[in-house]
Amino acid sequence: MLIENAAAAKTGFESLLCISMGVDVFASDWLHCDRISSYVARMVSHNRTDSVLYSNLMSSALNELLETAYRCHGERGELSCRVLRDGRYDRIELEIPSDDKARAFFAETAEVLARDDAAEQYRAALFADGPVDPRIGLLELCVDYAAKVQIEVFEAGAILLTAQFDLETEFAHA
Amino acid sequence: MRDTGQQPFSVRFDENNQEFAIAGLLRPQYERELGELIESFQKVLAAVRGTLYVNVKRLVRVNNVGFRVLSGLLVGSLEQRPDLRIEVVTSSVVGWSTRKFKALSRLNSRLAVAEYDNDFYPGQAFLEEGGFIPILRTQTQMTWQHERHVLPRHGLRPGMAVADICCGIGDFAVLAFKQFAPSRLVALDHSRSSLDYARRVAGEFGVHGIEYVYGDAAEMLLEDNQFDFVTCRHALQIFNQPELILAELVRVCKPGGRVYVTNEKISHCVGEPHGESIQWTYNELSRLFADFDMDLEFGPKSRRHLDRAGLADIKAECFMVTNLDGDPQGFASMIASWESLFANGMSERRGDDAAFREKFSQGFQDHIHAALHPTGYAGWPIWVASGKKPG
Repeated sequence: MLIENAAAAKTGFESLLCISMGVDVFASDWLHCDRISSYVARMVSHNRTDSVLYSNLMSSALNELLETAYRCHGERGELSCRVLRDGRYDRIELEIPSDDKARAFFAETAEVLARDDAAEQYRAALFADGPVDPRIGLLELCVDYAAKVQIEVFEAGAILLTAQFDLETEFAHA
Repeated sequence: MRDTGQQPFSVRFDENNQEFAIAGLLRPQYERELGELIESFQKVLAAVRGTLYVNVKRLVRVNNVGFRVLSGLLVGSLEQRPDLRIEVVTSSVVGWSTRKFKALSRLNSRLAVAEYDNDFYPGQAFLEEGGFIPILRTQTQMTWQHERHVLPRHGLRPGMAVADICCGIGDFAVLAFKQFAPSRLVALDHSRSSLDYARRVAGEFGVHGIEYVYGDAAEMLLEDNQFDFVTCRHALQIFNQPELILAELVRVCKPGGRVYVTNEKISHCVGEPHGESIQWTYNELSRLFADFDMDLEFGPKSRRHLDRAGLADIKAECFMVTNLDGDPQGFASMIASWESLFANGMSERRGDDAAFREKFSQGFQDHIHAALHPTGYAGWPIWVASGKKPG
């Protein structure tokens, strides 16, 4: 696993942290989702207004992204998780190695997320019979975290899964 | 936020209160991993009548696999049992839970969500109202003159990771941050207004690096074994179950680290002249707090409580804040605030008659007189105790 503090990567957003690891290593243990999300959340939350609350929310959001990647990814390549910040906004970028199956899943998911009925779809996924819909976490991010979730599918290989949110405002207590 | 490899989650049923509590982390890969939870819930369901309380205050993190199971259990059980009502008790500290469970309450009117929030300790509300802030600052300034020398004897060193639990308005945290340069300082309190004040003051004084966090000291989200030195000042004495907080202080302390507490024994406040009047009033003050389930005589009991909490190498000592420490007017102002708060506030709330309150006030007035008298002496004793977490 490679952990690096990167310099500014995108206009307006400063890169805070990037973790990279072989997708085979990542997918070897489900607990990696929890461990990585907890570690990254703690690292990027210390200077938020309430570091513990923020870390808990951040971990919950990132964990859903990682679990989605865990359930659907290509067999080879590097999985990268980058956290970027622009003021109140945080953006998580997951670069996921893909194969035909993964590309098809994420392309379809992008269409699902583009609709304006995420709350209804999320509720349906919660109460549907059968196995868990692997996109349930992304739907929840849109509903409960007011996240802007984007999926870019590249023909050549990787998928870029991005979630951007303003957790401090969204969860500010009255 | 505990290590999922150790104890992901736990369930407990309190039959007396019909409360099913789920705590910890619920991030399974497959729903079948929650078989025991499902089985426990179904057993409980068969035994309860009326309202079932589902306590998720300490359910810190749950993924959607886990939430799907919980949703199915909650909504499904109400469909099966038209006689049943379920109240889910969430915590605002956790952040996500109220919103997530409230979505379920829209699906069934017999599923309610109650957020356990700033009513954590409603009996203490009068201690947190805005008017008391200046006097809290004065108190800390006076005790700090002693504690800055006391703290190293109890093991506080520069560069340590420190948690100040029940930090109030955060002024002790600022002083400790400046004096001891900790590598990390988390200051936690259950009063949002106090934390807002603390953040504002820290910002105005250019102090950056203190993490002020909202939380319930008896059920903190802080991880296990994180801090070298855990402080809890003047707080155990105003909680009716101090052992719950002590257990949390020990939990977040690293093995080999120390838990440090300060408390009063208010009946030992002294003053001359008019010592008898002063003594009478502080004895009554102790009784007044006891009537509100607070123990201002806690100080010398600290050693026993730390021992019961499993701490070792316990150190205990006492220092006296007096009118001779510096500015006698500061001491007098502090007592004047006590008089206002306790003789005119709490005593009245308890229903004491005017004659009692007049005599009660007089002792405070005599203490003020003693503090400002050219040859007078006025004292406020503080007990300090600390213990080492084994391991």
